[in-house]
Parts: sequence; structure tokens; C-alpha cells
Amino acid sequence: MPTVTIEGKTVKVPRESTILQAARKAHVWIPTLCYHPAVTSLGSCRICMVEIEGSDGAPGRLVTACNYPVRRDITVSVSSRRAAGVRNGVMQLLLARAPESEELQELARRMGVKGTPYPKVTESQRNCILCGLCVSVCEEVIGASAIGFAGRGVERVVAAPFREASETCIACGACAVICPVGTIQVRIHMDTGEAEISPFKSRSKLLICEECGTRMVSVPVAQTMNDRLNIDWEEFRHLARLCPECRRKHAVKALGLGAGEDSVTPLEKIQVNEANN
Amino acid sequence: MATATEAAVQKIIHSPKELEAYRKKREKNKKKNTRIVRVCIGTGCAAKGSRRLYELFCEAAGGAEQAGGGNGSNIVIESKHVGCHGLCELGPIVVIDPGEILYHSVEEPDVAEIFRETVLGGRVVERLLYEDPKTKKKVKTPAEIPFYNVQKRIVLEHNGHIDPTSIDDYISVGGYSALAKALGSMEPEGIIEQVEEAGLRGRGGGGFPTARKWRSCRRAESPDGIRYVICNGDEGDPGAFMDRSVMEGNPHGVLEGMVIGAYAVGASQGYIYVRNEYPLAVEHLKRAMEQARKFGFLGQNILDSGFSFDIRINRGGGAFICGESTALMASLEGRTGEPRAKYIHTVESGLNGRPTVLNNVETWANVTAIIGMGSSEFASVGTEGSKGTKVFSLVGKITNTGLVEVPMGITLRRIIEEIGGGVKDGKAFKAVQTGGPSGGCIPADHLDTAVDFDELTRLGSMMGSGGMIVMDEDTCMVNVAKYFLGFLKAESCGKCTPCREGIAQMLAILERISTGEGELEDLDSLETLAELVMEGSLCALGKTAANPIISTLKYFRGEYEEHIRNKHCPARECRGLFIYKIDPESCTGCGICRKNCPVEAISGERKQPHVIDQGICTKCNTCFEKCPFGAIVKV
Amino acid sequence: MDRELVTQIVERYEGDSGMLIPMMQDLQAEYGYLPAEQLRAIAEELKVPLTRVYGVAMFYSSFRLSPKGAHEVTLCMGTVCYLKGAPRISEAICQEYGIEPGGTTADRMFTLQAVNCVGACALAPVMIVDGKYYDGVTPESALGILGALTPEVEGSVAAPAPQSKAGGS
Repeated sequence: MPTVTIEGKTVKVPRESTILQAARKAHVWIPTLCYHPAVTSLGSCRICMVEIEGSDGAPGRLVTACNYPVRRDITVSVSSRRAAGVRNGVMQLLLARAPESEELQELARRMGVKGTPYPKVTESQRNCILCGLCVSVCEEVIGASAIGFAGRGVERVVAAPFREASETCIACGACAVICPVGTIQVRIHMDTGEAEISPFKSRSKLLICEECGTRMVSVPVAQTMNDRLNIDWEEFRHLARLCPECRRKHAVKALGLGAGEDSVTPLEKIQVNEANN
Repeated sequence: MATATEAAVQKIIHSPKELEAYRKKREKNKKKNTRIVRVCIGTGCAAKGSRRLYELFCEAAGGAEQAGGGNGSNIVIESKHVGCHGLCELGPIVVIDPGEILYHSVEEPDVAEIFRETVLGGRVVERLLYEDPKTKKKVKTPAEIPFYNVQKRIVLEHNGHIDPTSIDDYISVGGYSALAKALGSMEPEGIIEQVEEAGLRGRGGGGFPTARKWRSCRRAESPDGIRYVICNGDEGDPGAFMDRSVMEGNPHGVLEGMVIGAYAVGASQGYIYVRNEYPLAVEHLKRAMEQARKFGFLGQNILDSGFSFDIRINRGGGAFICGESTALMASLEGRTGEPRAKYIHTVESGLNGRPTVLNNVETWANVTAIIGMGSSEFASVGTEGSKGTKVFSLVGKITNTGLVEVPMGITLRRIIEEIGGGVKDGKAFKAVQTGGPSGGCIPADHLDTAVDFDELTRLGSMMGSGGMIVMDEDTCMVNVAKYFLGFLKAESCGKCTPCREGIAQMLAILERISTGEGELEDLDSLETLAELVMEGSLCALGKTAANPIISTLKYFRGEYEEHIRNKHCPARECRGLFIYKIDPESCTGCGICRKNCPVEAISGERKQPHVIDQGICTKCNTCFEKCPFGAIVKV
Repeated sequence: MDRELVTQIVERYEGDSGMLIPMMQDLQAEYGYLPAEQLRAIAEELKVPLTRVYGVAMFYSSFRLSPKGAHEVTLCMGTVCYLKGAPRISEAICQEYGIEPGGTTADRMFTLQAVNCVGACALAPVMIVDGKYYDGVTPESALGILGALTPEVEGSVAAPAPQSKAGGS
């Protein structure tokens, strides 16, 4: 197993591990944006760049930690002038690209980058940093491939084909969850009972609790789950006609556990033991 | 045309002996007393109507043959269309054999005279001969023209001599004998050694040692044994047309090199990726491949060696980035041309995840030459670190625009002054730009630099693919940097942050400087951004994107400062940063400028010198274009 | 629009999704642009996501998603042409006809395309109309050439851009 010496710490990692994996093992922090363990690492945002020391006085090599495969013993510097210079420069460019993102500003603070000298980009380009995580998660994890890249350079956007609402989007919200700068949002429209994935314009109907009217999961997601789990749709609809809260109240009543609704602990107050991620 | 018949009748050639026998037979069958008219149909000459000239010569030849020869003897006239001669400035070019009489700027009315005088009568038409600008004497043959006699044409040896659509022509000059030698008497490792001894380095811009690339591919593991060779014909540098001329003018030279290379690395499938904007190159390559298959130089069991290999042509979709190897391979896989990290090299895992060798058109053509002439003869040309020759497209403010091939180590001065005939219109030389958008500008002080990979890089430019753009005193270097950055902004794939955002930010600064809104701090910002883009970008497009800025700042910083401090463009190119004045000595008072000025800024009496009111003038350039006496000057 | 053509094209390349770009080039050669329905058809036949096909159509400059004009006007923006005034020519045309580069005139007479160096630098500035090369063009002469265009074009309306039309033939 090759050895990675990083910021003075030494770890052994399996061959073909990435420098980022080695860094995490050694508890060395490297900022990331376009990296996520659930999808392929493209190494496109460049904010994780580190410097591999050259041998015998040769100049070091700048590489992206998230996808550089370790195949032999290497010494990595995260804080070198060159590496820190690139990372900070990249952050400054991104701050001009997504000036309203709080998540990005938080990351900048953590990196020690105070603002950007560059003018903000045009309205149409603003806020998406083109990291590609939404595209990757939709393709690789969800399998819907509802959105993709269109165009080149600064004019490039993430969009559904022909900029219309996607026909394959199931409004699962994975893209919104994975977006590192908070640009993608799931908006619930109470009046129409729909969920909208902004800015991609896709809308899907939501299942509604028959008792209290709460919006639950989107119909296409439910249908997708159905298909994958091989459950009859009607049977599922019957089981899923109540929201978790109402279902719990019914269950309590059916089990004769409480004097009334008041004695039931509201869902929000119950501590949930999260499974290890 | 001869090609259709020959292809229909031809049986497969099974061995080097059969090839030699075929060549000798064609040689013997060549009729004596053949007069040959060679008309260039490279894109440059074709755009000036050379195809029509070719048709007219064919008609004349047909008529003459029917009449039994113009002067009584039985002469055979062969008109052929040939590839680029290189002297594009003076096209259309027509050469008559025997004698290699070269005529330039030929027009349709000249055909009859050339045919009567030279082809039939053996006399020269003086007025169509090239005139040496120094001696003012007319010369007949290319050997007497400095443009040609300073060159060393190895890759372009047959350009202009053979008909690129005739495999017979190619065989008659020794074509496919290198392949026969390779398959008949050499081992793959031996071929790689020859290429190594020859010292061949990639001609696409990277200058990577070719033999090393091949060896890595050969040794790389391929679970199913598949390996690929690719020819990169995506020549995207503006101002560069070397590869186009080779593909159009001698496609078999490229094919032969690819088969040799495939045999050396163990590949059974090859691709040629040709830029979408080169339709003639695609056509000629396709035809050449069909012919090669008919003769058995492509396909199963080539020359009875047991080695099988075939090639497919793909046209690009219109993206400069697809000249980058991983982007090209993505394109061949039906995806967008986005480069990927090269931590794992393409010789290990390339097209479809298999070991792949990708080389430039000119590199493949050199392979043919190396195996043909042997590594020591090839290595006798050039410098220690850069063996062989390089083809350059010499363009811009130069007297002889065209395609040239020179031995590595020749000086820039010789190329520009002797071959190129110096700067056009007697203007002062300012800089020569090499390496396209990835390269830089080299000023007059360094004209005696030897042209080779390492020397050009040392000066802050690079060899690149071979574009060589000459600039004169009227070229604004800020504008040059702006042009290249604008090009790169449109061509950046957008995947990585430094290239995508950095180039746009650099361009925005250049635009402000060129409209008089720059500040001195902008030069520091440019340098900071340049370093960021160079260090942080994913691929070579981004990594070299700042070179046009860095090199112009290095050698012409004064011009940038003039734009900023004085809001003045010293080359008088940036609109709004110079003024128009009427020279009272030259002005005849004709009033054309006054009448055409859209804002009525010019006043003056008839036949009296006119005057431009600077307060009203919008600097639209109309008066400058309209003045018949050149009396308007830019200041 | 029929599905026949797409099926033919996909078969021509043996259903190999790696040949997506040549397939789209053949499709565009037929229609003069890439109709949305046909792109959907290709995605379905090849069993690849529509986003991939759309992404490829939007990435490469030679692909058009809307119909062209009757004539194809191309301005070379290579270094030499640029330094010899190609931007002014582009400006003049755009101003006169009220279009942007890449756009089509209101009466669909022509589409204006800027293209990277066509490799004919001795002829700079270069303008190509329906495959015919014009050299040493100026804003004035360009407008003159375009003004003389008529809706009738001999045979080259639906002709594909990549065919060998060089040489004024």
C-alpha cells in the first residue's frame, strides 16, 4: 500500500485511492465543491488543488485531490504557496460567479478568502458554478437524466432538453440536495399541489394526505419507487393516503395507547437516531 | 479519369516484390514525350478558380490529342490537379513538365497561350513567370525561387507533383514502399527504434517524443487486446493550414504512416479525425482509403504479413477544443468534447478505455518518410533536440503568404526575409506570432533565433502546430491579445473554473484597455489571472490561454501603458484611441470625405485642404476608406 | 416528419452510439438543421438520454437547431482576416440586416455564420457564400454581394455544409 505524506502527517492507503481520501484519513481538510462520494469525480471546479512534491528538486505538480489516483509513495502539500494561490484564486472567481450564495461565502470564510476583486458576471450566468453535481446525480444515482449541460464556456448552462420542462424529471429533489451553492430549489406550490424544481421548470403533482392536506412525496417519485419495488399502484395509494403524522395518530388510536391526540408526542420532538452515514 | 479505371481493375498487392513490379510496370508504360500540366487545386488556389483552369487545360489537351499533337509529333498531354505548392499568395499556380516551368496568378484567358507556347511549343510565357524582387529577373523553375530553394520539403515532397486522387501517382514516386519494408523486413519494436533514433517529436504542438508514446502504448495492458491509433486532423489554430494541405495534397502519405504505426504498437483499428471545415481533405482521404483497400494496403492481411488494420474517418462538429487528445476521443465516443484529467495517460486508457496513440497529421507523414529514408538520414536534418523539418503556414503582413517546410534550426529571419520576402509593402516588422492561441509574439530582437521546440519555448512562445503570423508596425499588440482571448473564450468547453471564468475576466480587462477605460492596476490583475489560469486549468487550452497576454506584456508593455495612461493606441488600430487628420499637403479639396461623413465633421472649400472637427468626429473610418489620395492619416 | 430517416441513419452506423456526431451530421445534411423531433427519435433509437443528444447538439458549432436561410454566408474570423478588418464587415452586415452573428435575416434570405480560420489566409478577408469564396472583401463589397442574392438558389439550398463546394464550382 502506498504511503501519502500530507502536511506532515503520514497515512497508508490502498492503491488507486485518491489524495482526498488520504487527506480525510489523515484529518487534513481540503475544500471541495464539485466532489461528492455518490457520483463520479470530474475534478472540474479545481478548488481542491494540492501540490505533489517533485523528486530531486524538480518542480511540484498541481493536481486535483478529489480524483488523483495514488499509485506510489507521494508527499503532498496543501498549504504550499502555489496550491493555496490556485484555490484562493478559484474561490475569488466563483464568488464573482455566484455572489448570492451563502454556502459559497461560508466556504470562502473557512478558506480565509475575503471577497473577490472581480466584477460579478452577467445575470444569466449568475449563481450556477457549473460543478455538474446535479447532472451527475440525476444520471448516475436517480437514472432519470432529466438535466444536462448545454453550450460551451461561460454561456454554458445546466438545463433540460430544449429548455422546456423535462419529461423524465421525477421531482425527487436530489439535485437540490446535492447543489453545493443552494441554487437549485424545490418549491412547493400550495395552490396547484405541485412541486417545482427551480430553475429547471419541471413540475410534478404531489400526493396529498387525505386527512390534513399536507403535501407529501411527488407522484412520479412514488411511481418510480413502485416500479422498482414491484408494488401494485392502487395498493400503494391505499397505503399512502395519509401523511406520517396522521398515520401515527391513527396507529396510536388503533393500539389504544393514548387518551387523545394531546398525549401523543409530536413527530418533531422525537429524537431520531440517525443511521451512520 | 485514370483513377476509376485503375481501381476497378486492380487486384490486391500481396508482397513488397509485387509492389515493386507494379511500380516498374507503370514506369515503363509511361509514354515518352509526355507533357504534364500540373494545376494546383488546394483550397487557396481553388478559391481563385483553379478548378476551371484545370478543366480548360483538359479540354485543350483533349483537342490537341485528337489533332495528333500541335507540332506534328505524337505527344501525350496529361493534365493533373495537384495539391498545394505552398506559394498561395501567387495562386493559381500551374507547373509544366518537362522543365518544371512555374507560372503564377494564372487566369482563364492565359490557358490558351500557355498551352500553345509552353505545352506544345516548349517556349516560356515571360509575363507569367515569377520575378525575383531583388534582381528583378524572371525565373523559370521553383529551384530558382528563394521561396522554394530555402525550403527542405520532406513532408511536402510530393505536394504539387502528384495527383492526390491517384494512388498510381503515389506509387510511382515510391509510395507504400516504406510500408512494404516495415511489414516485410522489420519487427514492431524495430520500427519504434527507428522512430526513436530519428528523434521524431510530435508536430501537433506538444513536441512529445513519438517513439516514447508508441512504446508506452505497446506495453500498456489491454484486456481484450484492442488498441487504437488516431490521426489528429482537427487543425484549429487560426492562421494554420499545414495539415489541411498535407491531407488534401498527399493523403496516402498520412495513411501509409498510420499503417506503419499501427503495426508498431499493435493496433487493429484507426481513426482520422478531420476538422469539419475541411471538406476537400475529407474527400481526398476517403478516396485514398478506398484505393488503399483495393490495393490491399488497408484491411485484412496487409501485404501478406498477417497484420490487419483499417481506418475510419470522423468529421469534427466544430469545436477547437477537440484538437485536445482527450476531448477528441470523447468526440469519437459520441459525447461533448470535454477534456478529462490526464493522471492516467491515454496511451494506457484512451479511446473507449483502450490504449491509444494519437498523433498529428504531420507526425504521421514524417513516419512514412523516416521508415522510407532511414533514421540516420532523417536525423541528419535539424538540431540536437529537434530533428527533421517543420511545416509552417507563413501568413499575415508578409510578401509571400504560403506554406513552407524548413529544417529545424533555421532562423526566423531566414524564413521571414528569404522565404517570405520580408514584410509586405515595405512596412517595419513588429513581431511574429507562433503557436496559435497557445503561443506568443516574438519581436525583432529575436529574429536570429533558431526555430526549434525548445528555443521557441524559451522565448515565451512555442512551436505549436506551425502557424506563423507576421505583424507589422500597424498592428496593435493589445488588439492581438484581445483577438486570441476572444477566440479562446468562445472555444473554452466551460468545464473547469479557471479557464472558463479566468479567460472571460481577462478579456473584460483587455476590452476596457482597448476602449481607453483601463487602469494601471489592470496590468497586475492580468498577471495574477494569467498565473491562476496557467496553474489551475484542467487542459492545455486553459493552461496556455494566457500566453498571448503574457508574451505581449513581456515585449510590448509600453503599448499597454500607452492605451491606459494616454488613452492612445500607438498602432492606430483601436477605435476611438487615435484621431483622423487630413494632411493639407496631400488634400486636393475634392470634397469626397466631406460629402460622405455621416456626422458632417469635415469642412472645407472646393479645391482647398479640408479639415476634420475633432469634437464632432466619431472615428467611423469612412473618410479614410473613401479618400482617393490617401490624404487622411491616423494619428 | 417521418421516423424513417432516423432509422436509416442509425442503421447506417450499426446503432453505435459512439457515432452520434456523424449521425447528427447526416441528419442536418438532410434537413439543413436539427429538428427537435428527430433528435428525440435518435435518442429513442439509440436508447440514450435525450439530454445527451441535446448536449451534443448544443456543444458543437456546426449544429443548428433552427432552420437556415436560403443562402449560407460565412465570414472567416481567423487571425489574418481579423487583422484585416473582418469584424467591421460583420458589423456592417449585422447593422444592415438587423441580425446577430449566427442569425438568419427576417426574410430568411441568408444565415450569417462566423467561422474559425478556413485556411485561405492569402485571400483575407474571406467571405464564403454557398460554398463560393470571395477574397479581399470589404464592408461595401460584402453588402454588394449580399444585396444581389435572390431567393432562388441553384441546387445548393439543402446541400450540406461539409460537402466539397470549395473552388467556386
